[in-house]
Amino acid sequence: MTSSWLSGLLRRRGARLLLNAIGIAVAVALLGSLGSFLVASRSTMTDRAARTVAVDWQVQPQAGGSPSALLEATRTAAGTLAALPVGFAHSTGLAVTSTGDGATSTQTTGPAAVLGLPADYRTVFPDAIRGLEGAATGVLVAQQTAANLHARPGDSVTIGRAGLPPAVVRVDGIVALPQADSLFQRVGAPIGAQPSAPPDNVLLLPDQQWHAVFDPLAGSGADAPTVQIHAARSHQLPPDPAAAYTAATASAHNLEARTAGAGIVGDNLAAALDRARADAAYAQVLFLFLGAPGAVLAALLTAMVTATGSGRRRREFALLRARGMGSARLVGLAAIEAGVVGSIGTLAGLAVVAVITRMAFGTAGIGVTAVILSAAGGLLIALATVLVPAYRDLRQVSVAAGRMAVAPTTAPRWTRWGLDLVLLAGAGVIFWLTGRNGYQLVLAPEGVPGIAVSYWAFAGPALLWIGAGLFAWRLVDLALGRGRKLVGRGLRPVAGNLADTASAMMSRRRHSLAGATVVLGLALAFAASTATFNSTYRAQAEVDAQLTNGADVTVAEPPGAPVGPSASAQFAGPGVRSVEPLQHRFAYVGADLQDLYGVNPATITNATALRDQYFQGGTARQLLDRLTAAPDSVLVSAETVADFQLQPGDLVNLRLRDARTGALITVPFHYAGVVSEFPTAPKDSFLVANASYIAAHTGSDAVATFLVDTGGQNVNAVSGRIRQQVAGSATVTDITSTRAVIGSSLTAVDLAGLTRIELGFALALAAAAAGLVLSLGLTERRRGFAIATAVGASGGQLRRLIASEAAMLAVGGLLAGATLGWVLSEMLVAVLTGVFDPPPSALSVPWGYLVGAGALSLASLALATGLTAGNARRSSIALLREL
Amino acid sequence: MSAPARRPAGQDATRPNALVVCEAVSRDYRTGTARVAAVREVSCAVGPATRIALTGRSGSGKSTLLHLMAGLDTPTAGTISWPGLGDVPRGRPGLVGFIFQGPSLLPELTAAQNIALPRLFGGHSQGHAAISAAEALRRLGIEDLSDALPDQLSSGQAQRVAIARALATRPRLILADEPTGRLDAATGTQVIAALLDVADEIDAGLVVATHDPAVAVQLGESWQMNDGRLAISTQRRDQPKERP
Repeated sequence: MTSSWLSGLLRRRGARLLLNAIGIAVAVALLGSLGSFLVASRSTMTDRAARTVAVDWQVQPQAGGSPSALLEATRTAAGTLAALPVGFAHSTGLAVTSTGDGATSTQTTGPAAVLGLPADYRTVFPDAIRGLEGAATGVLVAQQTAANLHARPGDSVTIGRAGLPPAVVRVDGIVALPQADSLFQRVGAPIGAQPSAPPDNVLLLPDQQWHAVFDPLAGSGADAPTVQIHAARSHQLPPDPAAAYTAATASAHNLEARTAGAGIVGDNLAAALDRARADAAYAQVLFLFLGAPGAVLAALLTAMVTATGSGRRRREFALLRARGMGSARLVGLAAIEAGVVGSIGTLAGLAVVAVITRMAFGTAGIGVTAVILSAAGGLLIALATVLVPAYRDLRQVSVAAGRMAVAPTTAPRWTRWGLDLVLLAGAGVIFWLTGRNGYQLVLAPEGVPGIAVSYWAFAGPALLWIGAGLFAWRLVDLALGRGRKLVGRGLRPVAGNLADTASAMMSRRRHSLAGATVVLGLALAFAASTATFNSTYRAQAEVDAQLTNGADVTVAEPPGAPVGPSASAQFAGPGVRSVEPLQHRFAYVGADLQDLYGVNPATITNATALRDQYFQGGTARQLLDRLTAAPDSVLVSAETVADFQLQPGDLVNLRLRDARTGALITVPFHYAGVVSEFPTAPKDSFLVANASYIAAHTGSDAVATFLVDTGGQNVNAVSGRIRQQVAGSATVTDITSTRAVIGSSLTAVDLAGLTRIELGFALALAAAAAGLVLSLGLTERRRGFAIATAVGASGGQLRRLIASEAAMLAVGGLLAGATLGWVLSEMLVAVLTGVFDPPPSALSVPWGYLVGAGALSLASLALATGLTAGNARRSSIALLREL
Repeated sequence: MSAPARRPAGQDATRPNALVVCEAVSRDYRTGTARVAAVREVSCAVGPATRIALTGRSGSGKSTLLHLMAGLDTPTAGTISWPGLGDVPRGRPGLVGFIFQGPSLLPELTAAQNIALPRLFGGHSQGHAAISAAEALRRLGIEDLSDALPDQLSSGQAQRVAIARALATRPRLILADEPTGRLDAATGTQVIAALLDVADEIDAGLVVATHDPAVAVQLGESWQMNDGRLAISTQRRDQPKERP
């Protein structure tokens, strides 16, 4: 019996079983692909996080401890590749005396940090110091210090020493310290303490020279020179960032324990992994928020495919029951069907995962856990969509009811309970509650191995999905029930004189039609919300990249280079839309040294995008117009406004270096607005003013950076050309490489793969939901169409009847999808605000994709309508013989 | 059994007012690799107001012949024409009424909506079709079933509604495929009586496929199908049997 049932199923219901299996395969493929995304993300996150660290450990000897013993202990610690001693000393100030135009001038700075580096330091830690000008070794001056001192290679710098005569050294090169924050960290600072700002002035000396200068100060109290041990560690870490963080932290603790407190480890590697494990947790959250609805949707689609054949199955089972077959046997037959469909679908889905994993992530392995979980998901969906409905029918439906051609239209219980409205209200309440905590989904407290993910926030969108789906079902049911006549009137353009007949037919099948509309609506909402989230995310990543790099291509002149704005012309060429010079100075606001950017407010936006959210007190355009109208205007940070109690129009005196004399001069500005972000500017306080006003007062129009706009096209070609052109005399960076550098491990690498998977599946689901559900529902009614043909319906009239259902499905599905998609996008972007940097002020809507998804669904509906109408006509003769 | 009919059975096929004329019509079907000849070289004609009983065993080709006469199916050989109807019936809906053996109502529509369908497919307005449907219901005496759905009807009621639907357009030719096949004797008699009454009323030609001799005897002429071939009995209904 079982084998004949199975072979009958495969022969007579092969197409339906195949569609069921495809639905399951889609769900398995989506789950598996996202699982692979998660695995791939985690492994690359550890690697990327470790690669961003210039110095893995900074071991600070404690009072009474022996630095040499500590150095030895660090060198011999398992996993240490190299360890070098670095001298740290304080100088009372630096000075450079220069002679120009027959006059002698002396530039001085405040207190400075002077480091003593072993000869092989830059070999062991290549990312700690970046050369800008002059020699790579010897006496090196930090960029900002060189600007303050007007120092160039070859100049002599006087190093002030407390209680001792100053020492003089000769500058060999000028360098940048990309990781100054961690280099000058307070090692052993309590967890949660405010990070200390790096010193304004830094000088790097060869260790022998450093010892010669600062050894006499040994034992001079709190400011006595110290030696810190810098270590490079093996990055052979567990692929999971959380596990890698635990391993790295344990190694540092091990060293501290072995040296009995003689040293404290400043664990930069663990700090980077700490951030990566938060990213990994966000990847997990993204998996849930973006992936789970897709998998559920695929399951729902499978259930719909099964449901469209439920009438036939009910009648078949009713016949078998009438002929004496027991319920247990029937359930067994349904279980066999579920097993066959589930197995085929799961295997096909896993095959798709293997292909996607290779294409999207470049790896062949899927991961055992991902395979097991996806396979379990597939079999579960098969049981839920094939076995459960059969079991429910057997339990609840009498033989007579089972033989009814059309299922009853009694309203389900949940509509009487208002479950949909309750769920929507619940979604709103949870969204509001999570919003009160600032949508802190991932909590990774510094130094604590455990990481907390607030899955509670997932309940908001989840309830919205379910509630909105049920609410859409209620609306369609209402429209086709009580609003049947209205629907009939609306269908007249499609169905003509058959409009009332079409609406009557739809009314009797309104439950299945409402279900189909909901599935289509949810599929479109999934596509819309995923695409909008991804688009908003990409837009924000682009904003971040442009803020960091400044423009598509940026040419940074070396400090002090006398390059004027007229040099812009040399960068013009093919692919370049505009070039904008940007001044960079250091200015004292009171005692606080800040970066000052000089711009041409009328043209700066030709080369870089300035968004309104970067400014306060007006839009970007309004504040730039203020700078144009009043040349002495200055935009300052909110922190400066608060510190100095500034009101619009207040006088702000800045001390700037006069290029002619080298002396600091006071230049009056007037406060015109607040700026919080600006291309190439640091995250902390800075100023923006008119370049021409600065040049007029300081006697120099020297440009620090040229911002080159390519319109986003040919970035690599333009940057390559300019790089050749400047031939090393300036640093050329482009937005493409900046994206890779600044993006967190989550953003830069993996989200692109996730996006491709998500958007591809979303399109497939939307098209399948539209066409499949309609055509399957109509296929079930071929007999009805044959009768209609027998009583005189022409092919065109059949098409009009079918098109009426397609139109209803299209209007309902598109409306439901657009509304839910928009609400979900807003909710997702708000709830997942933690992954955005900077947070978006508005959604970035990918209209092209959305219109494409809608058009694809409509095309799928049209195709299903055409094929079904043609098939109904062709098969009517065969079906008539059965009447 | 009788030899294949080379000459059209029933009316003289040359008569220009014959409702349907079959000339050497055959219809084959494929079932798997086998080829089944359902109708073999049948020639016949049905005139206006004729009453024909088409008898024969199950599988003898009665239904297929009726489908061919209605224009619902196309012959694999021979020709069919409808000289008295002016054109192919499929192109002029409402001229031929067809009654199926089994349930043939659209399950989503009420009895009245089912009956209105042929008029709607004929291009009439909803209002006009509804009036015709109401008239057909009244003619069959089943006005009370107007709003009932097919699932709520008994077999006999459903068949009466199907007859009402076939007659709603006042067709010139009525073809009934074992209309009482699934009914009990009493209900079957009532259904045939109603069918004959209405056919008389609208002066339509009537061909009824049936196994039931009691039904056949109520019709004037009897054609017998055997293994796809048609044999003619020219029994006339000179004194029609009293109908209940």
